[in-house]
Amino acid sequence: MSDEVTTLKREVARGETIMTVSNLKKSYGSLEVLRDIDLDIKKGEVICVLGPSGSGKSTMLRCLNLLELPTGGTIALKGETVFDGGKPKNLDDLRRETGMVFQSFNLFPNMSAKQNVSIAQVRVRGRKKDEADKRSVDQLCKVGLDEKVDEYPDRLSGGQQQRVAIARALAMDPEIMLFDEVTSALDPELVKGVLDVMRELADSGMTMICVTHEIGFAREVADRVIFMDGGYIVEQGPPDDVLGNPKEERTQKFLGLVLEH
Amino acid sequence: MDVFFDTFFNFQFMADHFQYVLDGFWVTIKLSLVGGICALVWGLILAVLRQLPGRALAPVRAVVIGYIDVFRGIPLLLVILLLSSGLATMATQGAIPREIGIPEWFGESDPFWYGVMALTLTYGAYMAEVYRAGIEAVPQGQTEAARSLGMSHGQAMRFVIIPQAVRKVIPPLLNDYIALMKDTALVSVIGLVEAVQAGRDLYSEFYVPSGYTLGAIFFLIVTIPLARVVDWQIKKQQEKFQRGMP
Repeated sequence: MSDEVTTLKREVARGETIMTVSNLKKSYGSLEVLRDIDLDIKKGEVICVLGPSGSGKSTMLRCLNLLELPTGGTIALKGETVFDGGKPKNLDDLRRETGMVFQSFNLFPNMSAKQNVSIAQVRVRGRKKDEADKRSVDQLCKVGLDEKVDEYPDRLSGGQQQRVAIARALAMDPEIMLFDEVTSALDPELVKGVLDVMRELADSGMTMICVTHEIGFAREVADRVIFMDGGYIVEQGPPDDVLGNPKEERTQKFLGLVLEH
Repeated sequence: MDVFFDTFFNFQFMADHFQYVLDGFWVTIKLSLVGGICALVWGLILAVLRQLPGRALAPVRAVVIGYIDVFRGIPLLLVILLLSSGLATMATQGAIPREIGIPEWFGESDPFWYGVMALTLTYGAYMAEVYRAGIEAVPQGQTEAARSLGMSHGQAMRFVIIPQAVRKVIPPLLNDYIALMKDTALVSVIGLVEAVQAGRDLYSEFYVPSGYTLGAIFFLIVTIPLARVVDWQIKKQQEKFQRGMP
C-alpha cells in the first residue's frame, strides 16, 4: 500500500474527536507521576508516546482506560464523560471500548489462543460461543497465527503471544487501542512481526495510542508524536517535527541518547 | 517378643474383628469426604469474600478475617463439643428447629453431621488461607488483562484468577485434606464410632490393642497414596516452571 493512500485515508478519518483528556493528574502519595495532561484524540489517529523511563507515559496510558485511577482531571469518550475526578461509574463500559496490549502479554495461561480471544467476547460482549470462536479464528488469522489457534500460551513465542494479545483486544471491537511498550519484552527478531501487525492496524483506520521506544516505527506510522518527561507533555506534533527537528531541549537530549546507539 | 506381637500385631484378633474396624473406617471415609468437600467449597467462598474490592465491602473483608482468625485459633475438639452441645441445647429449648439442631440427614447420625459442620468451619478457615496464597500468586497482569477487556471483578476472578489459583494450590490443599481425614477421629468424643473409636471399643471389651493397629493400617492405606499424589503434583508444577533443570 502506498504512503499516499494511507495518508489520504487518515486525513479523511481525522476531524472527529473521539477522546478528550483534560488536566489529568496522577500521584502516588507525594509522588506526582502525571502533572497536567491535556490530550485530544481524533478518530483514526495514531499517536506514539515517547519519553524516558519514569516520565509517566505508561501511567498516562493506564489512566486512559482507568486501570489506574487518576487523582484529578476529566476523561471523555465520544462526548460522554467517563471520569470526572470522582468514582467512575461505567468502568467496564469504558474498558470494553478501549483495547489494551501489555508489555508482558498477559495471556491467560489456562486457555488456548482461541479461548483467550473468545472469553471476553462471550462474557462481556454477550456473543454466542460459536460466533465468538469464529471471530477469534478470523482475528488470529489476521495477525498471522492461523496454525496456532489451539495452542496454549506456553507453546508460543513471545512475538506470537503478543499477537494473540492484540487479537484478543481487537476482537472486542474497541474504539481505541492502547499499546504499552508492546515490543520491549521481545527478542529483536520477533519485534518486526508485531510491528507489522500494528502497522496494518493503523492503515485500517484504528485509533491507536502507542507508548513505545521504537523511534523508527513512530516516524513511519504515527500521525502525531508526543514526548513526555516529568509527568508533562513536553512537545508534540507530526513525527517529522518532533523527531526530525525537536524544539525543546529535553526532546533533543532524549533523541540524541536514543538514536546514538 | 511374643507379648509385643500379641499386643500390637495380633493378626488372629484383627481377622476376628476386621469387619467392626472396617465399618468404623467406612464412617471415617464418609466423614472425611463430606467434610472435606464442604471445607474445600467453604474455604473458597471465604477466600473470594476476602478478596472483594472497594471501600464499601471493607466490613465483609473484616468479618471474614475475624472468622478465619477465630477458627484457626481454637482447637477442633472444642468446636466439635461446642457445636454438638450448643445446637442440641438450642433445639431442645425450641430456639431452632429440631431437624437442624439434631440433624439426622440422609440416614447419618447427628454426631456425624456435627462432625461435618465442625470440620467445615475449622478446615474452611485453613483452606481459605491456602486459596488466598494461590490467588495472590497469580500475577497482577492477569487481573489487568481481564479488567482491560471489560470483565467485572467477579468475572475476572471466576474465569481467570480462580482457575489459575486453584491449580497452584492443589498440593497444599491435599495436605490439608490428609490432616482433615486424621482429625475426623476427634468426632469420636461425641459418640461417633469411626475407625479410632472402633479400636477403643475393642480394647475396652477384650484388652487387646491390635484393633488400634488395624485402624492405623486402614488410615495408611489411604494417606500414603495421597501423599504420593501430593509429591506427583508438586513435581508436575515444578517441571512447568523450571525448564531444563535436572
